Amino acid sequence: MATKRSRTTRRADAQKASARAAAIRQEQERKERRRRSLIVTAVAVVVLVVILAVATALRSAQDTTGVAAKTVPSGTVGRYAVPAGPASAPVKVELYEDFMCPICGELEAASRTQLQKDIDQGKVQVQYHVLNFLDRSSSTEYSSRAANALAVVLDSAGPAVAKKFHDLLFEHQPQEGSAGLSDAQLVHYAVQAGADRASVSAGIGDRRFQQWVDNVNNHASKAGVTGTPTAVVDGRTVKWTSVGDLATKLQKVIDAG
Amino acid sequence: MRWADGLGLLSRLVVGGVWLVAGILKLPDPAESVRAVRAYDLLPEGIVPLVGHALPVLEILVGACLVLGLLTRLTAVLSALMLAAFIVGIAQAWARHLQIDCGCFGGGGGRAPNATAAYPWDIARDVGLLLLSGWLVWRPRTPWAVDDVLLPEPA
Repeated sequence: MATKRSRTTRRADAQKASARAAAIRQEQERKERRRRSLIVTAVAVVVLVVILAVATALRSAQDTTGVAAKTVPSGTVGRYAVPAGPASAPVKVELYEDFMCPICGELEAASRTQLQKDIDQGKVQVQYHVLNFLDRSSSTEYSSRAANALAVVLDSAGPAVAKKFHDLLFEHQPQEGSAGLSDAQLVHYAVQAGADRASVSAGIGDRRFQQWVDNVNNHASKAGVTGTPTAVVDGRTVKWTSVGDLATKLQKVIDAG
Repeated sequence: MRWADGLGLLSRLVVGGVWLVAGILKLPDPAESVRAVRAYDLLPEGIVPLVGHALPVLEILVGACLVLGLLTRLTAVLSALMLAAFIVGIAQAWARHLQIDCGCFGGGGGRAPNATAAYPWDIARDVGLLLLSGWLVWRPRTPWAVDDVLLPEPA
């Protein structure tokens, strides 16, 4: 038993003890920090998940796509299309257009005259699906307003007047990115096409068939239509490289009967 | 290691900034985001609307966390996973000759006539962002981060 230790030894022992104490203290502090970090992380994660869930639910509520339309225009074909030409026609062309889409305007300019002849002769029924996915390309949601106006005209004046109105809107197509035609101008062209002013102006002004237009757009998206113009014949999308190419291919399909 | 600090901070700001912009541009039109997701023709229709509605919010949250330096490692992992998913999505669209706009910064995944020319650039951008996200997963400690205050690391 060492009863007498040198001063140096005792000092060394004391140092060792205090070092050990410091190490224990450090270890405790480390654990404490770790615990705190875990709690802070967990709280932050929970907050973020709640924000994600709430915001997603809000966006979902804001998106009325697919909600059944309270008002549906009469005279449509297949619920979502405006027909031009007799149902008995041997060829059916489903055409997807947006009134704001410049290439649609080019296609119309390239094919309108011949197409109208073929429609009049009963060779083809064109089924116009008018979309509103380019609403952000005008400052007034022109795509929606024009598509709604077409539905209003179809509903009140029938498919022949609707076709004329459709053609007039493409003949006077506004610049992409502009405000588009005003409601008053839409009414003006509807009347020019043969519709009754009193029976179309209210529906054009209050966008009577907006939800139906949204649903046409949704239907097109689900049918795999990712852009306009898109032409579908016998359930198959016509592939094209230029507007002239698409017009030629459509003409061939119609001529083949 | 000063340059590593600088790279970490830069990664946070660049990746986070891109997520923020991408998410915010998609906010005005929820239906458009749904159509953009659907255009990739990859997910079952049942979950397409949910993904379309949630994705922009997730992008904004991840972006904000990265810019702030909050939960950097966790959000960098999320960022990397999302980028990997987008790269797969774009690559399969390319491989299947789908002519769609990537819809990365809004836009409804509409048909893009020059899609095939755009795909490589979209993928290159996402690979770049993926690398920066990977760096942050590896080295989540960066200067001027909320993490430095909230989660002090043992020295």
